[in-house]
Amino acid sequence: MDSESNDMENNSSADIERKIEKTIYQAALALDKNNWADWFKLCDDSFFYSITSFSPEISKDMTYFSGDKKELIGLMEMLPKHNTDHSPLHRHTSVYTIDVSDDGKTAESVSSVVIYQNMLDGINSHLDSGESRLFVIGKYHDKFLINDGVPKFINRETKIDNRRLDKGSHWPL
Amino acid sequence: MDFVENKPNGSIDSDHVTISEKVAAKALDQAFIEEQKRIFKNSWVPVCHESELPEPYDFRTSSIGNENVIVCRAPDGKINALLNVCPHRGMLIERRPQGSFLEGQASGNPKRITCMFHAWQFDMRGNCVYVAREKEGYQDRFCKDDAGLRRLRCEVNFGGFVWVNMNDQPAVFLEEWAGAAFSSIQSQISSEPLEVVHYHKEVVETGYQELMSQGLSSIDNDTDATIFDYGHLVTTQGSADNQDAKKGKSFPSPNAASCTSVRIFPGFAFNLDGPTLHVSTITPLNDKQVMIEHRGLAPQADNKEARHLRSKYYNEKFGPFRLQELSEPEQNELDSVKANSWYTHYYDEWLRWMDKHPNGETRIVDLPTSRSKNGEVDEHSGLSGPHIVVVGASHAGVAFVDKVRKNGFVGRLTVFDRQVGGPMERPPLSKGFLLGGGETVESKSLLRQKKWYKNNRIKLKTQSNVETIDTKKKTVTVSSGDVINYDNLVIASGAIPRELPDTQGMGNAFTLRQPSDANAIRQAANNSDTVVIIGGGYIGLEVAASLRKKEMTVTVIEAAERILARVASKPLADRLTKLHEDNGVQVLTGVGVDSINAEAGIFESVTLTSGEKIVGDMLITGIGVFPDSTLAASAGIETQRKDGGAILVDEAMRTSEKDVFAVGDVALRRDQLLAIESVHNAQETAAVAAAAVTGSIAPTIQTPWFWSDQYDVKLQSVGVVPINDDDVYQVARPGKREGAVSFWSYRGDDLVAVEVVNDPATYMEARQCLDTKQSPDPEQISNPSFSPIDSGGARS
Ligand SMILES: Cc1cc2nc3c(=O)[nH]c(=O)nc-3n(C[C@H](O)[C@H](O)[C@H](O)COP(=O)(O)OP(=O)(O)OC[C@H]3O[C@@H](n4cnc5c(N)ncnc54)[C@H](O)[C@@H]3O)c2cc1C
Ligand code: FES
Repeated sequence: MDSESNDMENNSSADIERKIEKTIYQAALALDKNNWADWFKLCDDSFFYSITSFSPEISKDMTYFSGDKKELIGLMEMLPKHNTDHSPLHRHTSVYTIDVSDDGKTAESVSSVVIYQNMLDGINSHLDSGESRLFVIGKYHDKFLINDGVPKFINRETKIDNRRLDKGSHWPL
Repeated sequence: MDFVENKPNGSIDSDHVTISEKVAAKALDQAFIEEQKRIFKNSWVPVCHESELPEPYDFRTSSIGNENVIVCRAPDGKINALLNVCPHRGMLIERRPQGSFLEGQASGNPKRITCMFHAWQFDMRGNCVYVAREKEGYQDRFCKDDAGLRRLRCEVNFGGFVWVNMNDQPAVFLEEWAGAAFSSIQSQISSEPLEVVHYHKEVVETGYQELMSQGLSSIDNDTDATIFDYGHLVTTQGSADNQDAKKGKSFPSPNAASCTSVRIFPGFAFNLDGPTLHVSTITPLNDKQVMIEHRGLAPQADNKEARHLRSKYYNEKFGPFRLQELSEPEQNELDSVKANSWYTHYYDEWLRWMDKHPNGETRIVDLPTSRSKNGEVDEHSGLSGPHIVVVGASHAGVAFVDKVRKNGFVGRLTVFDRQVGGPMERPPLSKGFLLGGGETVESKSLLRQKKWYKNNRIKLKTQSNVETIDTKKKTVTVSSGDVINYDNLVIASGAIPRELPDTQGMGNAFTLRQPSDANAIRQAANNSDTVVIIGGGYIGLEVAASLRKKEMTVTVIEAAERILARVASKPLADRLTKLHEDNGVQVLTGVGVDSINAEAGIFESVTLTSGEKIVGDMLITGIGVFPDSTLAASAGIETQRKDGGAILVDEAMRTSEKDVFAVGDVALRRDQLLAIESVHNAQETAAVAAAAVTGSIAPTIQTPWFWSDQYDVKLQSVGVVPINDDDVYQVARPGKREGAVSFWSYRGDDLVAVEVVNDPATYMEARQCLDTKQSPDPEQISNPSFSPIDSGGARS
């Protein structure tokens, strides 16, 4: 009995938080590599993704992009048919808060994210490629489902501060 | 990168600098400055949408040509635009993009715009209401009443956008500038209040010109495009007979499928795309960068579901994370020719504003004018090249010279008219003009101010009758005896009112065509109590309404069974008859004139065929006009009949003589049966002839339209109502407002014309139906909640 409750302890608090943190960082690595398959492995089937922003110009919350897992997979398959900027993105993420629900089945977390773009394509790639520039700043608001001690993303809202977005990528940030 | 070189420390990355710093620091290209000064600071710019400042005291800031602008909502709900610069020491006042002045700020009182530097305060209209230490500091040398923020021209229109013009005296009013281009989507974007729900901006590393060229040449192949005056372009996705697009509902329905883009010069696009309205506005930053703002709009009344649907669609097409289709690698030649002609249309307008001539020649307005020996200005000094002579300086003649100059014609232009004084608009002559009391002609009714002719180097010769044309020698002889050579001749001699033989030389008996006629009627009316009007056409009825306003006793005599028998539908005529009768006019129909009687040479009465005698102080005959083509017919130019009738022309308005064109009321296209006597027709035919002379793109021909004002009734009519056609019938459609109604004329299921009373919104819808060849279901049109635009029936 004692050992079992110890296990629960480990699984549900510090351990779960550590796992969630790890999942967020793994997601950043997968996304940096455009490795969608690895990223989807971290997401539950009910996963929903959105990019949002608040615009003080029009005083409104806006959604710039949204989709469920199925739509995202569809989008990834379409990518090769579209013009996208090939400059890789580099996410710098710091997890700020993690709140695990009382029953230990779900969790929410907020992380800061700063994304740099390492120029590859350019108006004159001869000059521009190789330069890094700040692309987007914002926060990840994530929700997780925890099954058998394994956290999986069920929702990610990337709340960005930018309202000026020049040409860039079209995939999840 | 060139920005970095201006910095002492070359290591500073240009991306760490804000846009406004970049703009300020960059050594600006001279051509860019010129473009800002000439085009952007003189154009109508949609700076924001009214929903961005929904409440009184809300504000939104913007900039035009690097000048800071603030738009505020006054306590009465009106929107004003002001220069966001303090008149005290020229400091920028409000720095936030958007907000409210309702609550006090750290350095400002509630309900005031406060400059943070020395606390001068202004109200929402820009009036200065507080100057710190006014009395102590300035004694009586200065008064705050003189120190307001500079008010800018501002109008809210076209779906609730706030349009600002930095020029206090813009070349044209907003409605004239963009009204025609917006007509195809106006009813959709104005049917219910919208709000901006998406906003983002991007800076593209492309110069303004290049951006426009790329945008216009990338328009899809199967796009229908219509060019409009002032460089605007309207495109519709899918060909005109695309049944799918037609069947689909239109915006604001969340299931809308059609797609229309209104591109307003110098670079604002209003895209009605399916369920969304996307508006992009450009702000050039320097010669290599342009900022584009994107706004997505949706009806305020949307439910959650509809909002979600639109949002998804918008993001995929216009959002910052949209996918961009791979461009089609090959464009066929025809498409690129089409695309080029759209760009040319835009570029022509650009040249006009920049006062540059397409072939590198100096623009007309730049040439110095000189004076001849007798001190008169010689508009033609320094001009060489072909000479175009125009006969008639009214709606058609003046529209022609305007257009031909706009098309870049640099040769000589001479316009002759036998009238005295500056050419005037005709429509007011039967309306407001008659109510005025003065003996002189008001300058507001002039077609163009005197300076305009001078600036455009147009020689206007009034009191000059053109007596003969020699098409072999290519000369005209003028009443002064002068013989003038021409390279092209344009006959815009209009029409002459029919007279009744009895009235010739009779005192107090008038017809109405020219300003001098209207002046004479106005003066006689000031000394008369009763008037008899022969003819129940538009002119007769308008005069009746005007003179009733002067409390005169008015009788209208019409020989046909009803008034407006030649030009309007029966239901409309019945309604107008009632209107006149309700206003105290005696309307007699189905009765002829037996004789017109005078006493001592002055009009006294009319004896009707019924034997009845109508006595009056004055008589006005309005029984139609005939084309003034004697001059042309005597020169051997083909007219309808040997002895006269309209001058026959081809679709380019060219007469049987290849160097001679005819426009306006005097001309009739060989493929048409009926002449349309209207201002719109005069302007349109003039534009067609001007395009033929200069080899420019001919304007798209619109469905004919016409208006008339009688009492407080505004009548608008689009399409030609077929008269005496048994297959034609009308359906009445009640309007939303009291007294508003429209009559829809159908032949079978096909819509042919619509007459609208006091209902401008319905008029716009009707015009859109006819322009796009849609026929709303005649069975349903009488139901005011049925939308004619959504019905989608295509006309055969
Ligand atoms: C009172 C009135 C009210 C109207 N209201 C409306 C309205 O509300 N809406 C609408 O759309 N239309 C209206 N119209 C009709 C419209 O004004 C005409 O269709 C339009 O003026 C036609 O223009 P035009 O230039 O072809 O001819 P005109 O306006 O007839 O001008 C022809 C000119 O040529 C000159 N001319 C002719 N021969 C010679 C010559 N040999 N030498 C020198 N000069 C010559 C004449 O002096 C005249 O100035 C109205 C017309 C009138 C008279
Ligand atoms: S600069 Fe505005 S109050 Fe002095």
